[in-house]
Amino acid sequence: MTITQLSYVAMEMGVILLANGAETYRVEESMHRICLALGAKEAEIFVVPTTIIISVTLEGEVPLTRTRRIHSRKIDLTKVSELNHLSRQISYEPTNYKKLVAEIKRIDTIPSYPYYLHVLAFAFISQMFTLFFGGSFMDSCVGFVIGLGIKLQMDTMRRFQANIFFTHIVGGLIASTVALAALGLGFTSNMDTIIIGSIMTLVPGLAITNSIRDIIAGDYLSGLAKGVEALLIGAAIASGVAVPLSLLRPFWGG
Amino acid sequence: MMDYLTPCLYAFGASLAFAIVFNIPRNKLLLSALGGMLGQLVYVIFQLVITNDVLPYLLATIAISLYAEVLARLTKSPTTIFLAVALIPLVPGGGIYYTMLYFINGEIDLGISTGVHTMLISGALAVGIIMVSSTVNLVRKVMLKGRSKIGKKLKYGKKT
Repeated sequence: MTITQLSYVAMEMGVILLANGAETYRVEESMHRICLALGAKEAEIFVVPTTIIISVTLEGEVPLTRTRRIHSRKIDLTKVSELNHLSRQISYEPTNYKKLVAEIKRIDTIPSYPYYLHVLAFAFISQMFTLFFGGSFMDSCVGFVIGLGIKLQMDTMRRFQANIFFTHIVGGLIASTVALAALGLGFTSNMDTIIIGSIMTLVPGLAITNSIRDIIAGDYLSGLAKGVEALLIGAAIASGVAVPLSLLRPFWGG
Repeated sequence: MMDYLTPCLYAFGASLAFAIVFNIPRNKLLLSALGGMLGQLVYVIFQLVITNDVLPYLLATIAISLYAEVLARLTKSPTTIFLAVALIPLVPGGGIYYTMLYFINGEIDLGISTGVHTMLISGALAVGIIMVSSTVNLVRKVMLKGRSKIGKKLKYGKKT
């Protein structure tokens, strides 16, 4: 395997891992593992949530460095799981370049769950958490509607590449507006429960987990970046919820 | 009794839906959703015994982290799959909301005390994960070291 092929394979793998929600240390470890397994003498890898830099040295060749910037990130843990498995497998059984590229391509094109299921899942989360925080069945139905709304709104805004904080502000805004409207129309009496239940859909669970795990692994840079992201998302949700509450309260009398 | 058990079922449902949102592999959906239920169950049980209301969160987080680490080793998949999903029902969404609500109603004192309480709970979640995963890492390193006397190549990545 030539140095170009080796760095290409490692880079592709790292990009898929990072863009689908793997922790920074996992990306670094997997790339390092695959480089050594494919015969590199040395491999230096630096990963932050938006960039990967890899520098490979083969015996008797000039070192090669590649950089890749990650622009869009989503969450698909199936791909992370499969690639993690692949990187361990390579360390034990040798394989050739063509097979490896085909395997990575196969993993990259694994379909995620169908779109309608994602929308329903969002609505269901919102409904379940409304019940979880002590709402009645009627409240949970309002929660279901809010969940649908939030998912559709977030996807629409993502298509136009709105920034993540604005997306969450609008999400919180939708949650509290619909809940206020339901209160005003007399569908429900505990608006608070509905709002809490439906903003749980927006909670950045993976960002929180990854930031803690990165900090433990010693990647303070990525850990802090993700932690700040999670905190700012929390603040964005709260401020989005606050706007209709403070503006409309005098009129609805809630 | 039912009052304590139904939230666990709701947590299970919500975790299952979150597992779909995170695109977790089909055969691990149920396992990761069970983690969410386990966390809530441990929280509810310790809430009855302990009067402090931050400590049950810590114990629940320790329970789900242990569950996640064990299952990750058993199913040979990343820990995050089980941990991220199980953690969400423990996130203090209500605390964030009431903090904000007190502030916009002008009740600054109540807002600050609720805010600090929410921060403490988040801290407990972080500490729980850190305690378990550092311990597991240490144990793994010690075990690898014992094994590497036979074959040094088992220690992937790191040069010795």
